[in-house]
Amino acid sequence: MKQGETAVAVLWWRGAFQSEKYKPIYRCKTYKCLYFKKREATALKSLRKTFSLLLATTMLIVSTAACTSGTNNGAGSTASTAPSAGGATETAGSSEQEEITLDVFSMLSNFSGEQTGWFAKVIKDKFNINLNIIASNLEGGGDVKFATMMAAGNLGDLVIFGDDGQKYLDSIKAGMLVDWTKDGLLDSKGQNILKYAPKAIEKNKANFGGGSSVYGIGFDVGDDKPGPSEAKDLTYNPNLRWDLYEKLGRPEINTMEDYLPVLKQMQELEPTSESGRPTYAFSMWADWDGNMMVLTKAWAGIHGFDEGDGFNPGGFSLVSADKDEYQGVLDEDGYYMRGLKLYFDANQMGLVDPDSMTQKFEDVVNKMKDGQLLFTFFPWLDDTYNTAEHMAEGKGFALVPFKEERTFSYGYDPYGGNRVWAIGSKTKHPDRVLELIDWLYSPEGNMISSNGPEGLGWELKDGKPVLTAFGEQALPANDTAVPEEFGGGTWKDGMSQLNNSTFKTTNINPDNGEPYDYNLWKSTLEKSPTKLDQDWRAAMGGALTAKEYLEKNNQLAIMRPLFTGTPPSVISDELEQKRGQVAQVIKQFSWKMIFAKNEAEFNKLRQEMLDKAKGLGYDEVLAWNVEQNKKVFGYRKQ
Amino acid sequence: MHTQRRLGDWLFHICNYGFFTLFTLLCLFPFYYLFINTISSNDLSARGLVTLYPKMIHFDNYIQVLQLKGLAQAALVSGGRTIIGTLLTVAASAFLGYLFTKHKMWARSFWYRFVIITMYFNAGIIPWYIIMMKLNMTNNFWAYILPAVVSPFYVILVKTFVESIPDVLEESAEMDGAGYIVIFSKIIMPLITPIAATIAIFSAVSQWNSFIDTVFLMTNSKLFTLQFVLYKYLNESTSLAAIIRNSQGAVGNIDLTNKQTATSIRTTVSMIVILPILFVYPFFQRYFVKGIMIGAVKG
Amino acid sequence: MKAAIRPQSSMSRRSGSLIPDKFRLFLFASPFLVLILLFSYFPLYGWLYSFYNYRPGFPLSETPFVGLQWFKAIFSNPTQTQEVMRVMRNTLAMSTLGILTSVFPVIFAIMLTEIRTTWYKKTVQVLTTLPNFISWVLVYSIAFMMFSVDSGVVNKWMIALGFQEMGINYLAQDDHTWLAMTLWGLWKGLGWGAIMYIAAISSIDQEQYDAAKVDGAGRFRMIWHITVPGLMPTYFVLLLLSIANFINNGMEQFFVFQNAINKDHIEVLDLYVYNTGMLGFNFSFATAISMLKSIISIVLLFFANQLSKIVRGESII
Repeated sequence: MKQGETAVAVLWWRGAFQSEKYKPIYRCKTYKCLYFKKREATALKSLRKTFSLLLATTMLIVSTAACTSGTNNGAGSTASTAPSAGGATETAGSSEQEEITLDVFSMLSNFSGEQTGWFAKVIKDKFNINLNIIASNLEGGGDVKFATMMAAGNLGDLVIFGDDGQKYLDSIKAGMLVDWTKDGLLDSKGQNILKYAPKAIEKNKANFGGGSSVYGIGFDVGDDKPGPSEAKDLTYNPNLRWDLYEKLGRPEINTMEDYLPVLKQMQELEPTSESGRPTYAFSMWADWDGNMMVLTKAWAGIHGFDEGDGFNPGGFSLVSADKDEYQGVLDEDGYYMRGLKLYFDANQMGLVDPDSMTQKFEDVVNKMKDGQLLFTFFPWLDDTYNTAEHMAEGKGFALVPFKEERTFSYGYDPYGGNRVWAIGSKTKHPDRVLELIDWLYSPEGNMISSNGPEGLGWELKDGKPVLTAFGEQALPANDTAVPEEFGGGTWKDGMSQLNNSTFKTTNINPDNGEPYDYNLWKSTLEKSPTKLDQDWRAAMGGALTAKEYLEKNNQLAIMRPLFTGTPPSVISDELEQKRGQVAQVIKQFSWKMIFAKNEAEFNKLRQEMLDKAKGLGYDEVLAWNVEQNKKVFGYRKQ
Repeated sequence: MHTQRRLGDWLFHICNYGFFTLFTLLCLFPFYYLFINTISSNDLSARGLVTLYPKMIHFDNYIQVLQLKGLAQAALVSGGRTIIGTLLTVAASAFLGYLFTKHKMWARSFWYRFVIITMYFNAGIIPWYIIMMKLNMTNNFWAYILPAVVSPFYVILVKTFVESIPDVLEESAEMDGAGYIVIFSKIIMPLITPIAATIAIFSAVSQWNSFIDTVFLMTNSKLFTLQFVLYKYLNESTSLAAIIRNSQGAVGNIDLTNKQTATSIRTTVSMIVILPILFVYPFFQRYFVKGIMIGAVKG
Repeated sequence: MKAAIRPQSSMSRRSGSLIPDKFRLFLFASPFLVLILLFSYFPLYGWLYSFYNYRPGFPLSETPFVGLQWFKAIFSNPTQTQEVMRVMRNTLAMSTLGILTSVFPVIFAIMLTEIRTTWYKKTVQVLTTLPNFISWVLVYSIAFMMFSVDSGVVNKWMIALGFQEMGINYLAQDDHTWLAMTLWGLWKGLGWGAIMYIAAISSIDQEQYDAAKVDGAGRFRMIWHITVPGLMPTYFVLLLLSIANFINNGMEQFFVFQNAINKDHIEVLDLYVYNTGMLGFNFSFATAISMLKSIISIVLLFFANQLSKIVRGESII
């Protein structure tokens, strides 16, 4: 179109408006206009129709919503939440105590909403309480959710802290938690706690309550006895595909580096998985890394060193469980750096999954199921491959220890661990919340929360607990359907979503003389072992479990309980900021080093990591960590 | 010359159709992939063996998800906030956008900027939460609606759009003695249907998709939205990772790893949440017919 | 509602209302301005936190005042400054690419309207918005499925076609991180972003095209002389808004795609702040950062507006 023509067209277009007034717009003269007008009218009509339709729908929805919220309260057990921001709200209940819904603010849960299934039924029947769980990590990231609730001055009714660090201290200081000693609350409602966990109360009084008040109680309260407190396995176990290892004639392994040639041979023996994918010794994931690579830190774990000293939160020091020793993460000859070198060598040998850096934990679980892995550190990860069918064939993962192994182990701690149960100060029912906590700290409560109600998952035979047929199917966390009289749903969905324990599961239940953990019941251990178990036990001199073997051979580094009488020191904001930045560098370069092309690049990256980390304040943070660790060494002697 | 142009046209169309077909397939594939994984055997899909077509078809995942407790209520809440929120947002943004085209308004540019710059405000979550609490917006359905009523972005869109319409139209109406509201509803509204439809789509989708307000403001499960339910599922593995990180890599969190929801279920939930959106867009598409409005206006 | 208001307003108009037009217009707008004040301006009091050592749960009066400490903390030492510079480089690169690719939705919309087959056009319109609804977490899981070394189809095909000898972990590459991220973003947002332009095109007068056709104008001429000018106002407004958003890239996309290899180039400001845990429990620092970001954005907005005044002779805001 030429310039002039455009101008004419535009003028004509404008003229169309200028020549006419408001009203004539709807007065059509031409055929074409009539056509458009009709279309416009249709469009408008449909628009109006649309709007009225939408409005009608809205009305309907609003009224239905109102109706459902009206009826639900009366409907009873299924969906009778009526909480407000203030927390518990009452509705008429059938049992003696009125029905209430407690807001549980949990920093450990990975589920949010109302607790359902068999655990909900137990709590409802016993206390007429519904649990509405608010999971801080699931909802907007832990610290942010916690901060908004702090700012609002209300942490809910039952509060579960992930650790007894700054958040717990701040909550006490800001008056967000109920003092259990007020009005004789603990004495009247906490009989089980006082009976079964007196030292845990004592610790909370001394550390956090200025010697008189009690604001919470730690988890995993242990019996007062020496020895490792783990069940069958330790936190970190070097587990290999036992069937392949046996085929190789069980070559001897002295140092951690000795695993590599063995794993290489295993890979040659079984180069592909069930679905035909290549196998690897190590398939790793990065999304769990905190201050450093979790899977590299594990090498320190099997030498008795771990992040954190059992009292202070972790940082850049790896602390021995039982000796007054520590290592900096970046120490030249430390286990962490040795672990990086090991992974680098493994990658050069083709033993590391090339997807390690980009996959997530879930992907590894799927690879594990498929049989793509030959080595893991975590017993619970083994379970994804150690299915009944595999184990019957003798296939599966099991501990293959090395001579130098001294695995990190937690001793029984009667003072309780660092995850805290507490009561929010705005609750209307402190007594009933404490009643609930108290029950969880009773043998009955702990037994039920871990193994389900008696008669469902387990029963007593001659005074000793045995798994029922249902229990064998459902435990530990399977999708087995639960009978309606126990609450319905599946076993897994009905499990306690609080995700905090009260007693160590290896404690002896005073009611029946067996540990709480069903894996350790005599009846379970005596059950006909699988082929895998038989093979392993035969090779390990008759030890029944990994823990038993390591304990017998003195290959455990056991951390003893501590009583400090003070809360842990809180890191300054400035140092905390540095810690965050240095951790980024350490994690990033760790991964890069593992996948370095050659030794020269590996060394270059290592130097770069050291320079960058130190430039961002690594030494300062480490010094602070070590200072805290040394204080703990002092307490250990007491 | 004529043939040349025809050839060019022909080529243009081939390229055009070719590109759009390819790009559409590219957009469709992930959705398709997620879908076939939700109806294939969960075991196969977990192992990554379902890539191009479904294997061992079953609908258990859908049955299981549709039986989830509170799902119907969540759908009601989501639908409610989407419809009410969209109606109010479209009406308010259109009206405000129109008002801002009136140079006569007292301190117009100041107020316009007063609205616009809030798009870039970020005061952090805590002060926002406290204000919402003070305004009684916690555990309150209106917390979904009221903050979204005026959206600066939509106001800008409407204002720009209205400004592109010749003033003469309105001027003549004003001379006839029509008030602002009459002009807005009788003349402006019909003229801006395309942009109103656009805003409606944007607003509906953002209402349907938002979950952050639920995360922080709602503890009453009656007010949970579908998207919040999905968010919780999708967030499970990130959340698990965070729990483990926060506890200094205490990887003994066995319970947590066992209790993760299966990937297939999570994908199914996201399918169920996406599907309704697919019906919204075609619904508004009719307002995008080329050249309808001005042509109608011209007498 | 409409019916209720009409008689009143038209009456006031006829009888020569007591309120002058300019205030009446303001009065109409005021309820909405109040909403803005309540929900957007009131929370700004929180900016005060950045000058304190704020801890949630304690009132400001019990909180130590630290002045500009948190603002200074951003550049506390040379290595830190280096990190911030690296992050800012990524932020700017990603934003620039984002602005450069902002013409694609325009082209997309124009080309789509050229298609005459209605059902095809509508189908394309709907299906291309699909990626917008899939969360980044799921997008990444799909990306991983396609590009992973052992099971990814891309590697399978590349090996089969002889382009490479063994599997490559495409997601752990750092050669074209910025470009790759832009492409992912484009894929996800193209169809969605085009909606606005499709709406704008539909408001262009059909008569103009008819007139042009009579003059024998070709397809591209019509596009260039009628469609493009018709879209310009919308495009420029959106451009201006995205310039103001220069330092706000969001983080979800980068969070899911990040790994040790591409981290140097993928870490934009938002992600960096998240990764280093600065947002963790240090709300004063987080507030300082978001306050700085807000201010920079608003300055950029007015700067871009000024630029538009000079270049195009019209102010947009």
